[in-house]
Amino acid sequence: MIARGAPGRKPARWMVLLDPVFLRRLATHVLIFTSFIAVWEWAGQTGRLNDLIMPAPSAIAAAIWRMYVVTGEIYWHFFVTMFEAVSGFVIGGVIGLGLAIGAALSLTFRRYVAPYAVALNVTPGIAVTPIFIAWFGFGWNSKIALAALIVFFPIFVNSLSGLLRVDRDTEELMRSLGASKMQTFFKLMLPNAAPMIFAGFKVAITTALVGAIVAEFASATEGIGIMMQRYAHRLDIAASIGVLISMALMGLLLFTLMEVADRRTVFWLRPERLEQVSRKRRRRLMALK
Amino acid sequence: MSDESIPGLSAEDGLTWRRVFNHLAILVAFLTVWEMLTVTGIADELLYPRPTLIIYSFYSLFIDQGIVWRHLWITMATVLSGFVVGTILGISLAVVAGLSETARRYMKPYIIVLEATPRIAIGPLMLAWLGFGFEAKLAIVTLVCFFAPFINTLTGFLSADEDQIELMRSLGASKWQILTKAMVPDAMPLIMAGIRLAMASALGGALVAEFISSNEGMGVLLNNLAAVLQMSAAFAALLTLTVLGFFLYRIMESLESWIIFWHHDDSMRRVARKRQTYWSKL
Amino acid sequence: MYHETRAADGADPGGAVILGHGVSKLFGGTVVALEGATFTVKPRQFISLVGPSGCGKSTLLRMIAGLIEPSSGSLHVHGDPVGKPRRDVGMMFQRPTLMAWRTVLENVLLPTELVRKVTAADRDHALELIELVGLKDFAYAFPSQLSGGMQQRASLARLLQTGADVLLLDEPFGALDEFTRERLNLELLRIVAQFGRTTLFVTHNIQEAIFLADEVFVMTPRPGRIAGIVEVPFERPRDISLMQTVPFNEMVAEVRGIFDRDNK
Repeated sequence: MIARGAPGRKPARWMVLLDPVFLRRLATHVLIFTSFIAVWEWAGQTGRLNDLIMPAPSAIAAAIWRMYVVTGEIYWHFFVTMFEAVSGFVIGGVIGLGLAIGAALSLTFRRYVAPYAVALNVTPGIAVTPIFIAWFGFGWNSKIALAALIVFFPIFVNSLSGLLRVDRDTEELMRSLGASKMQTFFKLMLPNAAPMIFAGFKVAITTALVGAIVAEFASATEGIGIMMQRYAHRLDIAASIGVLISMALMGLLLFTLMEVADRRTVFWLRPERLEQVSRKRRRRLMALK
Repeated sequence: MSDESIPGLSAEDGLTWRRVFNHLAILVAFLTVWEMLTVTGIADELLYPRPTLIIYSFYSLFIDQGIVWRHLWITMATVLSGFVVGTILGISLAVVAGLSETARRYMKPYIIVLEATPRIAIGPLMLAWLGFGFEAKLAIVTLVCFFAPFINTLTGFLSADEDQIELMRSLGASKWQILTKAMVPDAMPLIMAGIRLAMASALGGALVAEFISSNEGMGVLLNNLAAVLQMSAAFAALLTLTVLGFFLYRIMESLESWIIFWHHDDSMRRVARKRQTYWSKL
Repeated sequence: MYHETRAADGADPGGAVILGHGVSKLFGGTVVALEGATFTVKPRQFISLVGPSGCGKSTLLRMIAGLIEPSSGSLHVHGDPVGKPRRDVGMMFQRPTLMAWRTVLENVLLPTELVRKVTAADRDHALELIELVGLKDFAYAFPSQLSGGMQQRASLARLLQTGADVLLLDEPFGALDEFTRERLNLELLRIVAQFGRTTLFVTHNIQEAIFLADEVFVMTPRPGRIAGIVEVPFERPRDISLMQTVPFNEMVAEVRGIFDRDNK
């Protein structure tokens, strides 16, 4: 009997910086990236690229500098879109998770909610944009509503399949221990479904961003989507690409936040987190009276 | 990423007459309440059209005026061509990249960034580059359809069954044989899931392209109808898209059971019979 | 002890802990999983249920645990007809069924946690059980950090934590390698002897069944039933060398004879 993940301190994360293989790979990455940029810049400087189609990296950098430092106009738009996406995610998430819990606990409920969920799934949610704008106006509300609508299904379906994917033996164990339905739900089904629920959240958070941006494209006065569209209409491609990069940044930011929440919650699938949690639990159990 | 129908319900479930009746009863009750709310003016009919009016709009969109057909056709053409081009590009690039471990490693950071980027956001740029025509829409749908097959194919190769590859090697198989006889079939379920995701997002991609490039297509139709508050017609157009989406979904589903027959009991039996006749005739 | 008082006021005059008479189970109205099982289990007895897949041994165990109900016949535990799970009957499965998000100690405390707020005394009791099953240094480890054998040890400690006096073990070490299984069997004997609990042990290994038990229920499939009950006279404590002896092997042959007779 050998314990995997035997006790003992693992090397700190920054130690990887001393690893020659890692350093070599990092250097290659940087090299590839910089030479790509350099060739692109060279082509731009020597007039081999059409500025209206693909501006040189320096032009894009200048545009980014302008919107972030000189005018600072991007921050408000950035905030608006982020707010719309996150609010939509929260609303759609609460509804999706709530219905998934109902559907997991009751077969009848599952049966009657299923056709609507399927219909919602096969309808491209984005198609509802014009209707939502008519309903909720040109402001933030229509964007939040669209984001909520399109995050619903991934969260619903992932949560439901996670909640249903309970190990039969463990369920029998809980029954043999005389656990109530509530106890089985909170102590077994919910934690058991957590990895799937978070998988749904992670898909949904970027989807929410898409929803907010698309609704902004359709009609808006503020938000990063409308900012991009204005630049594109003015054929200021460099600035458009700058906004596009900011969108990627926002996507990464939201996804990373979700990833961190996932790592904190579903710690048991992250071997590197087990020891820390174990120490915390030990302290808590030792303090028991 | 998942794209299944509702978990915990088999396809046969809920098909008893009694349940169908119950479903219909709920639906009819819901529609009646809706109808009542608008007729009595509790809900603003301008914004929430009553069900009977939506049904009438179907008639006028499809038969009386018949304006839906052209838009539907254009959207379908965009969806299908973008889907085919994007999927083929995605899979073939992934196969090329999947063959070389170095290529996979150096592509990884870019893939992560691209995955987090809302792909549709590149739409306005495409329009600036390609103009307000079919090309821009095609490019947007292609781009939207590119990633899921690409990433899933790559993931499929990365998670290939090492033992099976070792077995192939021990049998003296060539690199090409290992790819076609072990790695591709092994990765097929994941690749197929990617293709289905691509199809699921293709329609959305086409609609967004049409929203922003306004000349024709279902997105344009929807936009115009909603803009002049012809909500019942807008709803009819939306439901048309639901039906269209449903058909596309079913087509992908049968395509999947045909290609990955070993995951579906019926298809497996059918293929087994076919193989039996094939081998006995040899 | 608990089970002695219960057994004393139980309906059965013979002091049986479990009493089955003509117990049958049908699944889906047609598939006969178990037919007409009649048997008695006395206090502190160790019973092995041995047989191939489909002989109804797990079905019988689940009925005793109150997880499923018999289709016909009567089945009593401590004089009460079985119906739903009860606190004095505990079950252990072939797979560890530990919760990945709980440390070993928290997993062992689960049965207590389901009935009341856990106290320091409960914790200390659980820690003693963990030590007893040989996991002293792993009380705060998570299941994924343990080997398969260690996970089953933790699951055994959890079973003991229930305080049940009837232990139902459904092929508990069946998924482990031969060496680990042998060692765990020996420890199981030691622990059960120390606590004096009534034990039903399901296995498909004849040697293992005989080595552990006071009585072996030999079960055969199609339809599942108890084909014979063999008493095991060997003295306790038993040593692994017992398996080398002639009487032991004669007994193995006897049990195998029951299967062969059934096959004809």
